Amino acid sequence: MTEQGAAGQLAMVFDLNKCMGCQTCSVACKVLWTREEGEEHHWWMSVNTQPGLGTPKGWEDMGGGWRDGTPVPGHQPTRAEFGGGWEFNHQEVLFGGRGRDTHLQPVDRGDGTTRWGMNWDEDQGGGTYPNSYYFYLPRLCNHCTHPVCVSACPSGAMYKRHEDGIVLRDEAVCQGARFCMEACPYKKISFNYVRGVSQHCIACFPRLEEGVAPACARQCPGRLVFVGDAADPAGPIHRLVHEWKVALPLHEEYGTGPNIFYVPPLSPYRLHDDFSIDEETPRIPPEYLESLFGPRVHAALDTLRDEMARVRAGGTSELLDTLIVYRWHDLFGPYTVDPASLDRSPERVAVQLGRARVGATEGE
Amino acid sequence: MTDLTAQELGAEALAPDDPAWNAAEAVRVPLVPVPVDAQPNAYIRAAWHDRSYGATPSASVAVATHGDRLFVRLEWDGSGPVAGEFPDACAVLFPAGDGPDTPVTMGDHASPVEVWQWRDRLPVQEAIPAVRHLVSTGPGMFRPGAADADLAAAATVDGTRWSVVLAGPRSALGAPARVAVAVWNGANEERAGIGAVSDEWAAVQA
Repeated sequence: MTEQGAAGQLAMVFDLNKCMGCQTCSVACKVLWTREEGEEHHWWMSVNTQPGLGTPKGWEDMGGGWRDGTPVPGHQPTRAEFGGGWEFNHQEVLFGGRGRDTHLQPVDRGDGTTRWGMNWDEDQGGGTYPNSYYFYLPRLCNHCTHPVCVSACPSGAMYKRHEDGIVLRDEAVCQGARFCMEACPYKKISFNYVRGVSQHCIACFPRLEEGVAPACARQCPGRLVFVGDAADPAGPIHRLVHEWKVALPLHEEYGTGPNIFYVPPLSPYRLHDDFSIDEETPRIPPEYLESLFGPRVHAALDTLRDEMARVRAGGTSELLDTLIVYRWHDLFGPYTVDPASLDRSPERVAVQLGRARVGATEGE
Repeated sequence: MTDLTAQELGAEALAPDDPAWNAAEAVRVPLVPVPVDAQPNAYIRAAWHDRSYGATPSASVAVATHGDRLFVRLEWDGSGPVAGEFPDACAVLFPAGDGPDTPVTMGDHASPVEVWQWRDRLPVQEAIPAVRHLVSTGPGMFRPGAADADLAAAATVDGTRWSVVLAGPRSALGAPARVAVAVWNGANEERAGIGAVSDEWAAVQA
């Protein structure tokens, strides 16, 4: 396994108990970074309904990652498996005189892209009435400590930035070989067919350099995304991950050392057949959560339940106070600058978009 | 060693079916898979160690010149126009230095290789140049070459049979003048170092 040393490591914690699946994070990222031709189907930030096949379709069964220090061959998700990026028949319905014969719908190009899309299985979830259940899982590049995507690139286009551990790529060097897409076990790398390069979340590094939190975090109306250095002992991320141990990585067994962590979802009780409450059984099967977050998920949920019980009994909980986030800026560590206070002229935005493509630091 | 003779055509001959090519001698160049053990990282070696690739047995190669321009025409059986994720592609390789030991498998760090690579394109990829100038320091270890290399390419396909002409500065031929070629079968997901390459450098009599 390749060690990718970094002086710091940007990390994020998503509290799934507060995520309402509004996709504001997804759209905030989309309008900022992937609105150009070839990026129509890109969702560097995406929220999927769990249980589900996710984005791209069936990504958890596509391989990749590390096992015992050896890279695991993976499947390169196809354009159809990502789906989305549709063109609609606006012309036909609105101007073509067929408004009473057909309805607004994606144009089927025969390439499978209209049969899947980001959060396609939104309305399914798991279980059966009255014990159906679901929760939302926001996903982005994990900016892994051992990024197998970087190791898989034959051109050296990808790298882990020393100062903050963000995984970036120089699109001027990327040859579009897409081994990174195969190797990434989280399948959060997309291919830009128009430009012939792969692309992924850049952790909004041009914003971070100006003290602004990533768009997905700052725009989240649920106040559920913590941002900061994983090693800062005074920061909420370190405390949630290492002290309280209630924030867990997704599919830690993939071996890449992800730096995105999740507070797992509590769930309502199940109902008996007579609709009385079964207080012993959570509605979201613990084994399902363990399949996502590993065996430590049970202790994490126990901690959350114990803290909630203490507060109900009249006590206090520093953990719950942290998760409630009474002050919005407490989410963002050192990244509390209001982007509206900065230069957002079209010229400046163009410069930042260009830097996003090559991963250059200011002035390079 | 295979010998190729660079025929002076008397005119630019970028089109593969240009009658001027009738004057050039086409030579069958054997191709072999780039060894999996030579691939540049553990991921690629793990992903391809039990997969067949580089099975294109040979390419027909003709070399021509006109003034300070060099033309190389490659013809081979591929998978045809791109229909999946990866395109058919081909390349002409030149040793970047004059050392005798430059690996024909796309060079190494001590002995890089200049690469003129042509790739088939999807309709949405018209903005991507059909040919690109690369410097390779190992199988698939491509970095962008000089942007002012003034390369050009033209291709035709008949079913799965490609005929591609790559053109660039004649100065790419070093001394001694040697070339190799590589082809990638897109339907087999071949790209980077996963492909077929000449079994040895071919001497070019210019």
